[in-house]
Amino acid sequence: MSRMTPLDASAVTDPELVELLGECEELGVPDPVFVRIFARSPDQLKPMLRAMLVSHRDGSVDHKLKEIIRIQLARFVDDPYFANLRSKKAIADGLTEEMIDIGCEDYEDSDLFSEREKVALRFAEQLFLDSTKVDKIFYDEMHKHWSDAEIMEIGSFVALFHGIHMVMKTYDARPLEAA
Amino acid sequence: MRYVEKISTDPDSFGDEDWADLRKYLSEEEVVELGMFLFMNLGFHTFFGTLKFYPMFSPDGRLVSQEESERLYGDKPESLQGEAAE
Repeated sequence: MSRMTPLDASAVTDPELVELLGECEELGVPDPVFVRIFARSPDQLKPMLRAMLVSHRDGSVDHKLKEIIRIQLARFVDDPYFANLRSKKAIADGLTEEMIDIGCEDYEDSDLFSEREKVALRFAEQLFLDSTKVDKIFYDEMHKHWSDAEIMEIGSFVALFHGIHMVMKTYDARPLEAA
Repeated sequence: MRYVEKISTDPDSFGDEDWADLRKYLSEEEVVELGMFLFMNLGFHTFFGTLKFYPMFSPDGRLVSQEESERLYGDKPESLQGEAAE
C-alpha cells in the first residue's frame, strides 16, 4: 500500500491533465497510479508529465535503450514502482525481459548490445554509482559513438528519471499491473 | 530538509517514522510538490557535475570565460554568501 494514496480517478478533471494521462496510459510509463498521486498539485504535475514523456518517448536515442536504462536505474535504487513498469512502445518495438535483465547487469559481455549501446548503459550506470568515473576520458569515449545532442538527451533522461525513482521509492508505491 | 537529506544520501533509511514526521508538518499537496521539485534536482546536479561547466557570471556580475569562471568558483560548490556581504 502506497504511503500516498492515489486520488480517485474521478478527481482528475483538468482537461490538459486528462489528455496527458491518456498519453501516459498509451506509453505505459508512468501509469495512472503516478498521475493520481501527483494530481494533488496539477499545475506542477502537467509540465512534469510533459517532460517525462518527451524525455522518454521522444528524441533521437532509441526508445528501447532508454527503457532499459530507466529500468536499470529503478533497480539500482530498488524502486518497486518504476522497476515494474514497462513501456508498451518498447515492447511493441521488440524489447524483451531477457534484454532488460542483461542490459541491467551483464551487458558488457553480451552480444545483444553494440559497443555504442554498451557505452550508454555504462554512462547511466556510472553516473549514479560513481560519477567521478564519468570524466573527460569517459566523455571522449562517449563522443566516439554519440553526438553532443544525444549525450545531452541520455544524460538529461538519466538525471530526470533517477530523481523520480528516488522520490517514488519513499512513497513505496506499486504499479497497477506488475511487469 | 531531513527528508531531502535522507533521499539524497540514504533513501533506504527512510522509514514509516520519517514519513509520519513529514506528514505532521506538510499537507498531501505540499508533499507531492516537494517530491516533484526533487525530481528535477536530485539527478541533474550529479549529471551537470560531470560536465564541468561553470556560471557565466562572476560574483560581481561580470561576464567571464569558462576558464576564468573555473578559477573563480573552483571544483567544489561553495556558498556565495561571503561574496554578497562584501
